Amino acid sequence: MIRLDAERPATFCDGHTRRDFLHAGALAPLGLTLAGLNRAKADGARDGDVNCIMLFLVGGPSQLDTFDPKPNAPAEVRGPFAAAKTNVVGTQISEVFPKTAKHADKFSIVRSCYHTATAVHDTGHQMMQTGRLFAGGVEHPHVGCALGYLKGGRGELPPHVLLPKPIGRTGGNLPHGHAAGYLGKTHDPFILNADPNAPGFKVPDLLPPDYVTGVRAERRQKLRDAVDGGTAAFEGSGAAKQLDDNFALAYRLMSSAKAREAFALDKETTKTRDRYGRTRFGQSCLMARRLIEAGVRFVTVNMFETVFDEVTWDIHGSRPFTDIQQMSREVVPNFDNAYTALLEDLSERGLLSNTIVVALGEFGRTPKINPAGGRDHHPGVWSILIGGGPIQGGRVVGESDELAWAPKTRPVSPGEVAATLYKGLGLDPHKELPGPQNRPIPMVDYDRKPVAELF
Amino acid sequence: MRLSSSLLLLAVAAPAPAGELRVHPAEVALSGPNRTQQLLVVEEDGGRVVADHTAAATFATSDAAVAKLDGARVTAAGNGEATVTATVNGRTAAAKVAAHGMDGPPQWGFTNHVEPVLTRTGCNSGACHGALAGKGGLKLSLRGYDPEADHFALTRQALARRVDLTNPADSLLVKKGARLVPHGGGTRITEDDADFNLLKDWITAGAPGPKDNDATLVRLEVFPKAALLKPKEKIRVIARAVYSDGTREDVTRWAKFGSSEELVAGVTEDGVVTVAGSGEAAITVNFGTRVGTVTVTSPYPNTVHANVFADAPRANFIDDLILKKLELLRLPPSEPCTDAEFVRRAFLDACGVLPPADEAKAFLADPDPKKREKLVDRLLEKPAFVDYWAYRWSDLFLVSSRKLPQPAMWAFYRKVRQSVADNEPWDRFARDVLTANGSNLAVGGGNYFVLHKDVAQLAEATSVTFLGMSIGCAKCHNHPLEKWTQDEYWAFANLFSRVGLKNSEKAGEVLVQSRTDGEALHLRRGTAMPPTPLDGKPLPADSPTDRRAYFVDWLTAPDNPFFAKAIVNRVWRSYMGRGLVEAEDDLRVSNPPTNAELLDALAADFVKNKYDLKRLMRQILTSAAYQRSSKPLAGNAADDRFYSRYLVRRLPAEVLLDAYSDLTGVPTTFNQVKSAAGDSTTPVASYPAGTRAMQLPDSLLQSRFLEAFGRPERVATCSCERTGDASVAQALHLNNGVTLNDKLRDAKSVVTAWVGGKGLTDAEIVDRVFLAALTREPTAAERKNFLDILADAAKDGPQARREAVEDFVWAVLTGREFLFNH
Repeated sequence: MIRLDAERPATFCDGHTRRDFLHAGALAPLGLTLAGLNRAKADGARDGDVNCIMLFLVGGPSQLDTFDPKPNAPAEVRGPFAAAKTNVVGTQISEVFPKTAKHADKFSIVRSCYHTATAVHDTGHQMMQTGRLFAGGVEHPHVGCALGYLKGGRGELPPHVLLPKPIGRTGGNLPHGHAAGYLGKTHDPFILNADPNAPGFKVPDLLPPDYVTGVRAERRQKLRDAVDGGTAAFEGSGAAKQLDDNFALAYRLMSSAKAREAFALDKETTKTRDRYGRTRFGQSCLMARRLIEAGVRFVTVNMFETVFDEVTWDIHGSRPFTDIQQMSREVVPNFDNAYTALLEDLSERGLLSNTIVVALGEFGRTPKINPAGGRDHHPGVWSILIGGGPIQGGRVVGESDELAWAPKTRPVSPGEVAATLYKGLGLDPHKELPGPQNRPIPMVDYDRKPVAELF
Repeated sequence: MRLSSSLLLLAVAAPAPAGELRVHPAEVALSGPNRTQQLLVVEEDGGRVVADHTAAATFATSDAAVAKLDGARVTAAGNGEATVTATVNGRTAAAKVAAHGMDGPPQWGFTNHVEPVLTRTGCNSGACHGALAGKGGLKLSLRGYDPEADHFALTRQALARRVDLTNPADSLLVKKGARLVPHGGGTRITEDDADFNLLKDWITAGAPGPKDNDATLVRLEVFPKAALLKPKEKIRVIARAVYSDGTREDVTRWAKFGSSEELVAGVTEDGVVTVAGSGEAAITVNFGTRVGTVTVTSPYPNTVHANVFADAPRANFIDDLILKKLELLRLPPSEPCTDAEFVRRAFLDACGVLPPADEAKAFLADPDPKKREKLVDRLLEKPAFVDYWAYRWSDLFLVSSRKLPQPAMWAFYRKVRQSVADNEPWDRFARDVLTANGSNLAVGGGNYFVLHKDVAQLAEATSVTFLGMSIGCAKCHNHPLEKWTQDEYWAFANLFSRVGLKNSEKAGEVLVQSRTDGEALHLRRGTAMPPTPLDGKPLPADSPTDRRAYFVDWLTAPDNPFFAKAIVNRVWRSYMGRGLVEAEDDLRVSNPPTNAELLDALAADFVKNKYDLKRLMRQILTSAAYQRSSKPLAGNAADDRFYSRYLVRRLPAEVLLDAYSDLTGVPTTFNQVKSAAGDSTTPVASYPAGTRAMQLPDSLLQSRFLEAFGRPERVATCSCERTGDASVAQALHLNNGVTLNDKLRDAKSVVTAWVGGKGLTDAEIVDRVFLAALTREPTAAERKNFLDILADAAKDGPQARREAVEDFVWAVLTGREFLFNH
């Protein structure tokens, strides 16, 4: 039997299979969702559990031109920007982030992230979202999906929401790690699939199409109640009960003022919306704040959908990519606005104390500027920002060498980043989940520990 | 309270002798000092234990110099033979005891004693020292699969401080284990208990390592084999190892116990089973590389007259064996289903389509008593049957353009499809695929090897596909809870080491051929194992025989213990809603079938009839078990696995989408194919208008609907890829998404014709939709209700009427009666 309350739901390869969780009728994953539902902690976001917003800086920001400036390095490494003071004594970041510099007490910088896999975007996406490189056909769950799997949703809201869309094509033709992987589709994030900055923005499928007017919606409900009348065959069927429960949940989601509100950016003042920036990323960050406030546990915001058709952090210099200068003009202010607006907003609403905000990319960039005026992929070392919840602000963990080529002290692997998030979220990072072929898989490898210096 | 406890006492004190009193094991063999054997005194009836009297029994030994007694535990005292007699309420039963090897000090071996202790205490578990990187500097092999390495780690590493030969009690091994010094893993053994002393004795004896002539574990005996009990009753399970030198040993205290159904019967870590509910549970016992099971049956608290089972309809042996099980469990079978239920159900299960209205009508009107059998025969010959099963087997074989270029994917699909169309015997099909030679474009089955290029992957996929077993765990270490060892895995994998692939000059073409060289090297030993099928005979390493052919000969031999069961279970699950073994590709000793006799009989019958799939399907479809109503009775509502009624299930993604296309008259367009990573799409023109979802050869055709409803991605050979789960996203999509709403609104939709000039009346629409979607007429109440709603809307004009009709069709097509097969 599956013991949802057991300390380790899948201790060994017997019985506790992924399939059990998928097919065990009433005990299936929905059970978890419903458990969340029944808990009915209306003001979920404040139930003591820690939430998380992950800002994925798709493309891979240059460590040198962002949060690990090397003012004393040769010009071809140092780059065009100076290092600037922040409101934390002794911590400097690149001068192009003036707003972020004023909030450096709210987050810590890990300057020694690295990975050793192939230097394509996709591998980094996998590792930074799941803590692992996918191998042997095993797809590991995103941190937010594992959280949702273990804790369920609060009220009618899904536990993990992904804004605005999953990461698309980035060249490696590998999965990007945004989903629940071996935990099964039921635990995939709720994906917005729309641009919250677009005029007339609406959440697809959340509300009936325009032509289904209130009158029709009511009639449909009435008709289906009549159709579903009394079919005795469905009593005692776990599968039918699951369907009924999900329809009920869908109706609650559709009809819940709270859920609708969470997605309704037009409830925000023009000033607030402008403060986040009128960009897809800015408005997604604003929506992330609304969702956390409404009870969502984990929100992933992808800053870009691909690295090919947009100006991103992927600054190779040559077409179709961008160079350092264009990045500083378009990408950096977008982040600087939205990220600081989010920190300020969460802080003012008292949510930063139980919401981790992590901003990370999939790798860093080559220290030496290439002939096209850009920098190429370099997973040898890069920096991430993390704060909020139990994570201390104002610290710098690890350092890179003088050329920002490799970690000099305290190297931090993607597994350790994931372990840090799990610990911050109040979970044992080494808890075993039921993997493929019934194999218990710890969420993070046993030898990957949380970064203690951040707590 | 007092009354009930005194009744309970009464029941224990004076049990009605139901059967025979027996002592297990009947022959006790003790092979040295400190060797003990726990005894069981039980009441048996028809091969099943019905009561455990061990606690109430008194024991006597015929010779205390040979066999000492401590309650129900026998300890060797000296060489010789003796008899132990158990007495319960004046009845007696006896066990023979033979003791030898009592002349020297206790002999504990590393492989057969120290490793089991480390396993039982959890020291070498994946969370502790068995982790790949070890823990706290000590690394042991996971659950003791590598005794040589473990012995080295314990006796040589860490400056050999882990064992202290001069002062055994000072060894870190026992001091850490008992936490006499700080230990991150806590207290694993208690000072001076049997395992503590075993480790100490072993160190005292010089900490001997594994030897080549160590006796090996041959089998595991488990007592009792089966039990028939009521809730709250308890029984102890004991396990005895049988070694290659003939010695036997009580290993109960080192074995690991588990229950397949804790809601039916739970088991403690010491092997005490407590029945918790009704049904059947398998108690699994693991020791070393062997697994044993005890079947615990707990009948439902129903009173069912024997006539219910005797008079129940029976079509063939399936019904005999199912009713036998239902009678044992006291589960009454539901009534036979109606003709209307049967025709919808059989069309959906056999062909994946709803019965066309005219066929359904004709069937319902047909007075022929044999009409159900005749319908089954017709269904098995329909083109939709080929679509459906070609799709199902394409799921199994991972046909997709994910790894195969378009022409190769098509060639593979055509092979699968042709095989279904020809009703190719399953052994023949397996042979075609597994021995494919030549161009993958000409011989489509050859793509199986293009998909699984890595030898380990090929071996594992073949095991799941054709044997219904996952052996993947044994790649890196002995399967933790199954019998398969790492040696067996690599011996099996080596059967697949001589497949040659060569790219031809033609795009997408690969030449598959058998090679005369190539070995799969054992991951740990670094050497090749003799190629050996699972539990089969090895092929000499130097044999020139084609290894694939040797494997297929073994696979398709009539006495292969796995092949027929694996496919029979897949087909059974597809029709009956739940596999005799669940999941359908998880056949293993520790996951026994819910009706073993039936699975055996089905497999034997399938082999006898030359692996004829249609014949198997016909037998299932014509059985009374398949034709039971899905409406539960009070007595069988709790049953979801013994087939006392038809199990309702959600329609698969493809069936639903095709049904929406058919019922609205608006086909679905498939014109975008996704990249392997799913992050981009390219237009594709291979699928003309009207192509059905069930006719798609490729799992990468873009369709939000199919994805939301659990279409398998065909990435890994696993039945878990297809999910029948309901999710909130599905509900939202049905309610608000474009798939169904757009079809209903489409100018070409049937609704346009119905509300147009020579259209239908509301009553005709209601009847037609009910017949087409639900294969029944609406009840009078339903009809009136719907007609009222439609008439009310029509007052606001033709557009309002159209909308109301759309809403009505929408409501039927999203209702659970439609979404489920029942």
